[in-house]
Amino acid sequence: MHSLWPLALVVLKELVRRKDFYVLFVLTALLSVLMGSVNFFNTAQIARYLKEICLALIWISSLVIAITTTARQIPAERENRTIFPLLAKPVSRGQVLMGKFLGCWLACGLCLLVFYAFFGVLSIGRSAENNWLLLGQALLLHWAMLGILVAMTLLGSVVFAAPSSNGTICFIVSVGILLLGRHLNKVALQLAEPAQSIIYAVYFAIPHFEIFDVRDLVIHHVGLVPAGPVALAVLYAAAYVAVFLLAARLVFRRQALN
Amino acid sequence: MRTAALLLVFLLVLCFTLAAALVPAFDLPARGRRPTDSAAAVLLGEGRRMFANHFFTKADVYMHSGYYPTIFDGARLHATTQLADHGGAESREGFLGEPRDWLDRFGRNFYISRHTHLGDGAAAGQKGPGLERELLPWLRLSASLDPQRVETYTVAAYWLRTHLGKVDEAESFLREGWRENPESCEILFELGRLTAEQRKDDARARNLFEAALRKWERHEAPTAEPDLTLKQRMLGNLARLEERAGRFDRAIAHLEALKRISPAAAMLEVQIEELRRKQKP
Amino acid sequence: MLKIENLIVEYRSKEIGQPVRRAVDGLSLDVQAGEVFGFLGPNGAGKTSTMNVLLGFVNATAGDAYLFGVNVKEPVARQRIGYLPELTYYYKFLTAEEILRFYAGIFRIPRNEVENRIDAVLKLVELDHARKRVIKSYSKGMQQRVGLAQALINNPDLLILDEPTSGLDPIGRMKVREIIQRLRNEGKTVFFSSHELGEVEMVCDRVAILHEGKLRAEGKVSSLVNQHQMNLEQIFLKLVGFQPSPN
Repeated sequence: MHSLWPLALVVLKELVRRKDFYVLFVLTALLSVLMGSVNFFNTAQIARYLKEICLALIWISSLVIAITTTARQIPAERENRTIFPLLAKPVSRGQVLMGKFLGCWLACGLCLLVFYAFFGVLSIGRSAENNWLLLGQALLLHWAMLGILVAMTLLGSVVFAAPSSNGTICFIVSVGILLLGRHLNKVALQLAEPAQSIIYAVYFAIPHFEIFDVRDLVIHHVGLVPAGPVALAVLYAAAYVAVFLLAARLVFRRQALN
Repeated sequence: MRTAALLLVFLLVLCFTLAAALVPAFDLPARGRRPTDSAAAVLLGEGRRMFANHFFTKADVYMHSGYYPTIFDGARLHATTQLADHGGAESREGFLGEPRDWLDRFGRNFYISRHTHLGDGAAAGQKGPGLERELLPWLRLSASLDPQRVETYTVAAYWLRTHLGKVDEAESFLREGWRENPESCEILFELGRLTAEQRKDDARARNLFEAALRKWERHEAPTAEPDLTLKQRMLGNLARLEERAGRFDRAIAHLEALKRISPAAAMLEVQIEELRRKQKP
Repeated sequence: MLKIENLIVEYRSKEIGQPVRRAVDGLSLDVQAGEVFGFLGPNGAGKTSTMNVLLGFVNATAGDAYLFGVNVKEPVARQRIGYLPELTYYYKFLTAEEILRFYAGIFRIPRNEVENRIDAVLKLVELDHARKRVIKSYSKGMQQRVGLAQALINNPDLLILDEPTSGLDPIGRMKVREIIQRLRNEGKTVFFSSHELGEVEMVCDRVAILHEGKLRAEGKVSSLVNQHQMNLEQIFLKLVGFQPSPN
């Protein structure tokens, strides 16, 4: 387990030295500031639309960062042959996967801190009423969700040969779940068997990313999510992370390295 | 390489030429609609109306502080907005229903599952009037994308003048809508209400209501299902203005016309009788 | 130090109907502590497959291999080895110092020792002046030297080198030979594969010659030369069945 931190640190350094995060952050900030500068009927302190746009951009950026950073980890190690000197050290393939997961997840967390800090500054500038605890909950839940996504993408990176196909599939799946995951049970109930059972099975099997999306609560100043459900959501995320990482380990264990 | 580039340029020029030549020929403006040449129209084409509808619905979502049905909660519930009702009948109360499974129950902790309205003080942490300003960006955006959507102007103007104290901005927005939709009786009617209620200019308001009524007769009456509710409101407002001005005969005439199309004919008859009594010296 | 027992490595083709290819066929080897051992054979003889098993990249079909008495399937077997691959690629966005610190972290070298180790190996491979530059800016020769540095960072007792002089100029090859000699003088064990038979004769204590997955010869260079009455290159060609064309 001692090898996890050095592996994670390499991923963090890679994120800091690549341009992806900076481009996305500047884009998010620029678009948010532009939208914030628009005058609507000479009315001041219109805040919610700006928060919605900013949070939407943050979510899109976080999905892109999580998926692109994770999808290239194992394939790049293979393609660049850095996997060989790495596995020649006293580290197992499972530990390499765990280390990569930890690094990608921490990288996502770091990005989220910066994005949400910007969001906080934007909110202060627009509205005097801000629920910082709720924002903290939103950040925590968002980070937990990205943990599932990183683990899922890591599994994809050992299953699919090309990072591009893995990234595309993960992006489509994650956006699909965010938009439709909550409603699959309603769709299932309107169908006849066996489609109903199949859709319901999918509904229970997929990781429900939308649970972690509390943007509406932040935008519309609804109260805090109770601590119990938040803790359960984090455990739910941890369970899916464990399942995906275990599956990745089982696949990676038997694979040829080149 | 050069040949391929030249071919590409030629194809692009050909496409633009065809578009410039053919689009005006096939563009059949609907009632009161003028073609728009905004950047959004050029970039998005007819898809902009879909976006405009989405943003208008977004304003309704904001009106309900995020508590809103999706298309999966019933197409009928989702298709119509309450924004134009200005807080009317709550047909979408409790659309969520009972949780269907444990995951559904658990998930409700993380999204808005309680019905509140902007500005009614019920939303946690947000009290007091003026919160309706949060609707404005979406209404503005919707109008930019589909200037021919009349409802956007009337709804925005209503909230601007009644809840936000922005009468000048409301009038300016309505006039902008009127320039885009010169045959719209709804916009004229809303202008009339603004003039009567906020500007307190009964004479001008009456002119606007009468102009709106004329537009209604010309464009709405011949349709298969004319908007009788709108006509009722026009006649009702006209009658009130005429009564305030002391022109009881004209007020009675409007009420008589209203009685023919209103479900509350008996009540209107009582009002007509009262006006007749006032008319007699 | 290094023990291989009846090692068999087979590769299955992904195409249906294709036979299984046996890359290593019943290999047994024993490398003693402190010796420089040359692992020779033509292309496709099974050298890389054997090394891949020793390093844990590939699982043996049958047989076992041990490093320091620990089965190679256990990651801890690699705690005291250093490995220099034939093709040296490292994280381009890291500096030489960062790469060494990364690998030192995996070896769990104590913090107070890490900086000293990094300084020592960078001086040894003459990369001290470029330690803060990212690998992307390095020449091929410099990247080879980074490879050697990372192989030595944990002060290994056993060094496994795959074609260590491949692609190096004569000066580079001489430096590698000097390092191998120095390691032998320090009591380290070196196990390396090479095609440069002249260099193998210069540095190796013992050699093994592999052909078509089977061990054809093993022993001290001098013993083999005396036994076959020819130089190492001729012995090699004879054992792999090469017939020179009549001219």
